[in-house]
Amino acid sequence: MKLNINRSLASRIVFYVLTFCLFLFIISLSVFYFFSKKQMKEMTYNYAEAITNNTVLKTELILSPITKIANNYKWIIENKRLSSDSIFGITRKIIGNNPEIVGCAIAYESFFFKEKGRYFAPYSCREKGNIKTFQLGSTEYEYFVMDWYQIPASIQKPYWSEPYFDTGGANTLITTFSMPFYSMHGKEKSFAGVITIDVALDWLTDIVSSVKILETGYASVLSRNGTFVTHPKKELMMNQTIFSYASEMNNPELRTIGREMQKGKTGFVSSTLNGVERVLYYTPLPSSNWTLAVVFPKSEMFLPLRKITVALIFLVVIGLILLTFIVSRIVSRQISPLEIFAKSAREVANGNFNNKLPDIKSKDEMKHLHDSFEHMQKDLSTYIEHLKSTTSAKEKIESELRIAREIQMGMIPKIFPPFPNLSEIDLFATLQPAKEVGGDLYDFFLIDDKHLCFAIGDVSGKGVPASLFMAVTRTLLRSLAPNQLSTAVIVNALNKSLSAGNESNMFVTFFLGILDVESGILKYSNAGHNPPLLVHPDGTTEFFELTKDIPVGLFDDFDYGEKVLNLSKNDKLFLYTDGVTEAEDAEEKLYSDQKLIDCVRAHFESQTKDLIRFVAEDIALHVKGNQQSDDLTMLSIVYYGNQDEGSL
Amino acid sequence: MNITKEKIGEFLVLTLYGRVDTNNFNELEQAIGQVFEADEKKIVLNCSGLNYISSSGLRIFLTALKKVNAMHGTLHLCSMQPVIKEIFDISGFSTIFQIFDTQKEALE
Repeated sequence: MKLNINRSLASRIVFYVLTFCLFLFIISLSVFYFFSKKQMKEMTYNYAEAITNNTVLKTELILSPITKIANNYKWIIENKRLSSDSIFGITRKIIGNNPEIVGCAIAYESFFFKEKGRYFAPYSCREKGNIKTFQLGSTEYEYFVMDWYQIPASIQKPYWSEPYFDTGGANTLITTFSMPFYSMHGKEKSFAGVITIDVALDWLTDIVSSVKILETGYASVLSRNGTFVTHPKKELMMNQTIFSYASEMNNPELRTIGREMQKGKTGFVSSTLNGVERVLYYTPLPSSNWTLAVVFPKSEMFLPLRKITVALIFLVVIGLILLTFIVSRIVSRQISPLEIFAKSAREVANGNFNNKLPDIKSKDEMKHLHDSFEHMQKDLSTYIEHLKSTTSAKEKIESELRIAREIQMGMIPKIFPPFPNLSEIDLFATLQPAKEVGGDLYDFFLIDDKHLCFAIGDVSGKGVPASLFMAVTRTLLRSLAPNQLSTAVIVNALNKSLSAGNESNMFVTFFLGILDVESGILKYSNAGHNPPLLVHPDGTTEFFELTKDIPVGLFDDFDYGEKVLNLSKNDKLFLYTDGVTEAEDAEEKLYSDQKLIDCVRAHFESQTKDLIRFVAEDIALHVKGNQQSDDLTMLSIVYYGNQDEGSL
Repeated sequence: MNITKEKIGEFLVLTLYGRVDTNNFNELEQAIGQVFEADEKKIVLNCSGLNYISSSGLRIFLTALKKVNAMHGTLHLCSMQPVIKEIFDISGFSTIFQIFDTQKEALE
């Protein structure tokens, strides 16, 4: 199975790094864009202003000399007494000296020169490279009512006419500069006529159309009336005014702009022209009161910025893709051993401790993990080996113990009632073994037809040694008892045999009794065993008195005593091992002598078998399921005595 | 189980606390074994803190007694709680051990 541990970790790290970079980039780009936009707008405006001013200067360079020429000749005409015919020469001279001038007229008031009559206006113009001179006024050409004459005459100021196409010649655009002149009578002066100078405007078109701003920005000159003198759209030139164009476009904003222009103002405006938002800069041409305007789409202003931004975004996207790739590669490489570690851990779980670990050359945390892992593998391996051997050893021991226990339990008599033909007594015994092999024992047998020998004992300690010692004790008892009616003799012999070579100081507490079933005389020896309980038929109980005899198996020269007790009819004996009185509950509280007495008293009339069962149940009630730690052995004998006698 | 050792005069006093049962009698066996290794011959076992003793524990007492007897030393027991005293009485061990009511008497 392929583990995706490092992939998900890598993708998480990549995700965090990318998110952070992206965030950083967006912030930087926004700041850059904002400031650049502002800067760019400023720059474009400055440029528009500069180029406009430059164009104005260029036009002024041509237009302002016209004013000067007119002024100079006005002074000559006014101050010299000139003959009427010499005026023709002057008009020729003006054209001849100034190539940019295409025509010149000096028109007088009627009858200024008496001899010339009503109309006198000498006029020179260029025609096919030559200068042609003639008299303008006639009855067909009442020049007094023409604009070029009438307007300066009435306003008494120089006047630039609206541009117009020259009807006579090469369809060139022309404007006429008209300046009134006077005749002096001492200090008085009176209007005498008008000097006009015609200027071709080809150069103006050239200058203005050469203006380029941004991609599609252009310049335009508008006359005082708002007529488009020059415009990239030829159809607008001389055909439309800004006002007619505004109403055609339904753009009141443009009309307002036109008014501002007429007032000779300068300024920036932005307006939507032809569906595109454009910026407009306008300023007057000082000598003619015309207006120069530059127009450029607003969007183009930020075009370079947009291009840079797109390029930046493109670069960043590529950068981020590269970053993703590199970071994921680095992280994957750094944590790739983890995958092998995970696999190894799985292998370890399956019990394979020699799985190969990744080869770590660095000296970082990964190396640390590697060493720890290796250490763990080795330790686990050794531990499991050890565990295997101990487990098998333990299993072997346990099965041997189980067999030992079976053999041990096989040694004690378990058939009840044991002596069905012996009416004087009844006897019952149980040995409830603890989990571990223990060393309790009980035994009973008839020495002859009227002597019952019975014993109960408890070997010190537990386990195989105790069970072996118990087996030895029981075997010795069976071999020593026949033909012997003294318990002291038997116990002393038993003690001698058991003490010999008992290096480990094992011992067995031992109670041995021999009951004469006919007389009820009980001879007994108690080698350090719990004193049995004597239960009288009236329900009273008493413990056998303590002897000072020590358990058997300790000192081979110890002399054990013997006591005698006369049993009455229906007296009961209750013998037990300390497994009974020392049965513990979970709080280590012992069952105790007192509880035993209480229980026995409560059931004193019961059969031996039932009495033992009741005590066993009472013990079970006391320990409340706490595990039994010691063998529970109980032996009870009831002495009925001679039934025949009793029935007499 | 806890065992503390204290040298008082010629005697080495071992005070026992808790239980001595089948599961931990080895600890007592080792402690007493160390005492013999250190060549102490006069020993007092103060049983004031002892509240349970199994037959395995009694065996350790007995082994100690036999060793002491073999090297002509003394082993005194003292300050037994009634339950422990009863076990010694029932098993007849009271007759083979020298048992004193107080540690002071055991040290005399």
